[in-house]
Amino acid sequence: MAKTNMSVNTETKRFDTKNILRDQRILLFIIIVGGALIVGAVNEKFWNPMNIVAIFQQIAVAGLLTMAMGMLLLLGGIDLSIGNIMILSGCVMSVLLTNGVKLAIALPVGILVSILCGLINGIIIAKSKCMPLIISLGMSGAYFGIALLITEGRFMSFKLAFEGLRTLKLFNIIPITLLIFIALVIVASIVVNRTKYGRRIVAIGGNEKNAYLSGINVDLYKILTYSLSGLYCGIAAILYASRLDSITAQGGSGYELTALTGAIIGGITFDGGKGTILGAFLGVVLMGILSNAMTILGVNTFVQEIVSGLIIVVAVVLSNIDAIRKK
Amino acid sequence: MVIMMDEKKLVIEMRNIVKTFPGVTALNNMTIDLYEGEIHCLVGENGAGKSTLVKVLSGAYTPDSGEIYVDGKKYYGMNSLLSRDLGISIIYQENLLVPSMNVVENVFVGFELSNKGFVDKKKMKGYVKKQCDELGIQLNLDKTIASLSVAEQQYVKILKALITKPRILIMDEPTSMFNVEDAGRVLRIVKNIAQKGVSIIYISHFLKEVAQIADRITVIRDGVHVRTYDNSNNDVDLDSVVCDMVGRPVDMFYKKEEHPIGDVVFEVENLQISRDAPPVNLSVRKGEILGIAGMVGSGRTEIANAIVGASRKHSGVVRFHGRAINVNSPRDSISHGIAYITEDRQKLGLMLSGSVTENLTIVGLDKKFKGFFINVKSSVRKVIDIINKLQIKMANPMQEVQNLSGGNQQKVVLGKWLFTDCDLFIFDEPTRGIDVNAKAEFYKIMSELTKLGKSIIMISSDMPELISMSDRIAVVRKGRVERILEKEEISENSIIRYALEVVKNGENKHVS
Repeated sequence: MAKTNMSVNTETKRFDTKNILRDQRILLFIIIVGGALIVGAVNEKFWNPMNIVAIFQQIAVAGLLTMAMGMLLLLGGIDLSIGNIMILSGCVMSVLLTNGVKLAIALPVGILVSILCGLINGIIIAKSKCMPLIISLGMSGAYFGIALLITEGRFMSFKLAFEGLRTLKLFNIIPITLLIFIALVIVASIVVNRTKYGRRIVAIGGNEKNAYLSGINVDLYKILTYSLSGLYCGIAAILYASRLDSITAQGGSGYELTALTGAIIGGITFDGGKGTILGAFLGVVLMGILSNAMTILGVNTFVQEIVSGLIIVVAVVLSNIDAIRKK
Repeated sequence: MVIMMDEKKLVIEMRNIVKTFPGVTALNNMTIDLYEGEIHCLVGENGAGKSTLVKVLSGAYTPDSGEIYVDGKKYYGMNSLLSRDLGISIIYQENLLVPSMNVVENVFVGFELSNKGFVDKKKMKGYVKKQCDELGIQLNLDKTIASLSVAEQQYVKILKALITKPRILIMDEPTSMFNVEDAGRVLRIVKNIAQKGVSIIYISHFLKEVAQIADRITVIRDGVHVRTYDNSNNDVDLDSVVCDMVGRPVDMFYKKEEHPIGDVVFEVENLQISRDAPPVNLSVRKGEILGIAGMVGSGRTEIANAIVGASRKHSGVVRFHGRAINVNSPRDSISHGIAYITEDRQKLGLMLSGSVTENLTIVGLDKKFKGFFINVKSSVRKVIDIINKLQIKMANPMQEVQNLSGGNQQKVVLGKWLFTDCDLFIFDEPTRGIDVNAKAEFYKIMSELTKLGKSIIMISSDMPELISMSDRIAVVRKGRVERILEKEEISENSIIRYALEVVKNGENKHVS
């Protein structure tokens, strides 16, 4: 699917090949390949297939949240509570499992909780017309509090309920969790590019008043998209659970920023209406490779924090470069 | 310069000012002068060039050619710093006050008085108090701007403009939102300011008001100086002023093909935008173009917004094809086959970062694409007819609309509505800011639409456009449909008279 996606774009952009480098996705791809070649040259461990798989496995959780954030940014919204929605969903599952509830019930309940959180965010943001940044920041605190409350602030276990998911591998090398991640990236991309619903998300993000005057039910689409984002958080919680088998309420901090960075590096703008899911995917891949490379090259973990912070700033400044030039 | 004692001193002289924008000549060899302590009023239709002229004087625009003399010294253009140093101050139509700050703070923004590094509130308040007393302004200085009425906010703007002690004060439509009493107060204040020796350039649509306060009146039409009247005895002949505002050569009008018009299909009955708003009644026949004329700010767009459900209405019935329809949002009106082509294409009509195809298909998604999925290639195929028909010039259908010219952007806006098979098209300023050729293409498309039996409501400030295209014209003033002109009554003169309320009693009968 990702391939056909590209083919549409190359066809429609055939007329202005000059601008091909301006397509952030192609630029990102070049940076990713170039960066990988350099890191691989310095330390050949990088190219070990196990390492490559590990990189993608590491980004799977943040990657799903990046998809959620990407769709919201395209809509002209944002949700800073997605990290804590994921954790709350995970905590609900673990509490249920710890109390002897079967996985077949705990899992759907956990997912429903995450969808419900997104739905609530969506309703408040759509109906109050307040800044989503502030609303979601407040809700983030609330969801964190609920997670603390139900776990009583303790370490929780998933009782190895997701062990099967963790160990299951395709061809004995590609973990099933990685496939789930890739599949959901493709689903998000199809939804945004190929469905009426997706095109309307982009239309609202591009110009909300125009969308309203063009007969689009803006509130409904906002609520739907926040709910869809919630669903992605719930699935991310499953991947999280399968990887660590334990969870604490504090575990979600920082995920929303990683997701935001990934989407923005990938070319989705804060103003909405501009960017692609594929770009956001490449953005989060780039961050995964960078983090892995720094570890392999033995960069001090504190320095890694500094680099990660600065990348956010650089990405945002770069995404605004046209506006700076115009001035 | 030798000045006779009994003669008034010339402060400003603008000679042969030319200012062009892409596709439009806003000022064409414009010449005007201003004496000390004089109130000089500028009148003309929407878009005649009044605002452009004062913006050249304030330094917001640089003229293409021409000279500006200030106290006999020649300048080829102004900038905002220079004009301030020369004592020129301008009060714009838009609100430039800080809502959360009080009157005194607003007046002194950027010019705060201080005492040992701290803001001296007492001194500032004393200064404003004195100014208010001198000019006869009654105002509670401690109130925030947000809690003041529109008229009171206008006083604050005047006080703010006077803070630099200007010798020349420019006022652009200072009373356009006011009722009669408030406007009267502002006019007295303006006179008081002039008596203190400040020269005033005053732009207004309200000719009665102009006749009251002006020392001289200059009529501008299509960027050209038409005539300057002396009004020192307040005895100007307003009929003559109106004639000067409108008299255009015949070749500026578009020739519309005539075709038969059917029965009434669309009716608006007693539509009230708010509880106190006057009831609006309109009807449109099949294949007819109903023009809506009126000055900017007369409430035309508000009426259109209420009809299509883009803003709330207080009461009223809308009937389409003989059936009362319930319209609470643009979605409702679209489902009934009403298209609304908004005034501000960049802010309201387009998704600028979206492609031509995306913009064209935004409204028609449901009708043109069955099911859940859409296909980019087939959507391009579907819009290609519209693109060819409207001759939208672009690199390819996936080009972002922000990179198109104004005329082509406007065609995209129109195109997305043609894509929906609506029966009634409401246009708000359909050809603003686009060049003559694109305008002609637009007129052709409108004619074709009406020939197909579609109906059009066209709000426009472009007089030749209104007169050439409309079968009937509703003239709106202060939110009220002042009069509906039948085809044979339509003329620039009749429109402007109703729009500006300069109809004499006897004449009223004559026209009707």
